[in-house]
Amino acid sequence: MTVKEMADACGWKLLAGEDGQDNQAEGCYVGDLLSWVMGRAQAGNVWLTVMGNLNAIAVAALADTSCIVLCEDAALDADAQKRADMQGIPVYSCTPNLYETAVQVYEQLK
Amino acid sequence: MRELSLNVMDIAQNSISAGASLITIAVEEDRPGDTLSITISDNGKGMSPEQVEHVTDPFFTTRTTRSVGLGVPLFKMEAEMTGGSFSIQSKLGEGTTTAAVFKPSSVDMIPLGDINDTINMLVMMNPQLDFVYTRKLRPETGEEREFALRTTELREVLGEDVPLNAPDVTLWVKEYLAENTAELLGEAPDA
Repeated sequence: MTVKEMADACGWKLLAGEDGQDNQAEGCYVGDLLSWVMGRAQAGNVWLTVMGNLNAIAVAALADTSCIVLCEDAALDADAQKRADMQGIPVYSCTPNLYETAVQVYEQLK
Repeated sequence: MRELSLNVMDIAQNSISAGASLITIAVEEDRPGDTLSITISDNGKGMSPEQVEHVTDPFFTTRTTRSVGLGVPLFKMEAEMTGGSFSIQSKLGEGTTTAAVFKPSSVDMIPLGDINDTINMLVMMNPQLDFVYTRKLRPETGEEREFALRTTELREVLGEDVPLNAPDVTLWVKEYLAENTAELLGEAPDA
């Protein structure tokens, strides 16, 4: 399924990176320590985190994740938003925490 | 990164790529002041003011194999997340100094990790380059302590025929760093 379909099903709000909404969601990765995520998230993963800074966009670009979901209403920095738009990396926001969101993603990917 | 010593390795690799012949690494811990400072200086080709301005932007890199460089941006972020600070000073033709100051009491502090292993690896993998490594500690009570490893001094003792990556040299450096670090930190040496 595309990340847009996933976002609609889970009730996420799009913050940036509209052009990438047709990316295919394949698997999921959860983590906030960017250097850790960089080496472990797989291409196509839906990445759940609370890190909404420019470095997080760079990690998503490097690891080729299908999107970023900022859980617990974590904020997205202005420069990160701009760069996510430029790179076409969808960034979504949601209120549930990382665990609850991971469960939602699991249900959708089942 | 999960250990600050990995950041040191990463920044030192930048110095090597910049053609440095001397790299100075200083780790200074001030316990009463609650700071841990890591400074890496080199005499490489340096950067223009424009490059310095962009070096903390992960989407700005001199790398040609990919378009994202996270070494410097992550080091800066890690320092600032603890309430510390970060700076880079550079001059074309003279070299670059990268300095990160951490607040070790912060919940977001990342452990220093095996800095001795990082230093030993750098020396072993770059026997043609010179390194100065200094480590200082200002304890809660008592006097400031420090020690240094200078590869120029090693070269003088060893003579020209023994490379710095000879196995015996690597082993000696490992033990020298381990003994001096234990003494500096006031840990009892292994019985």
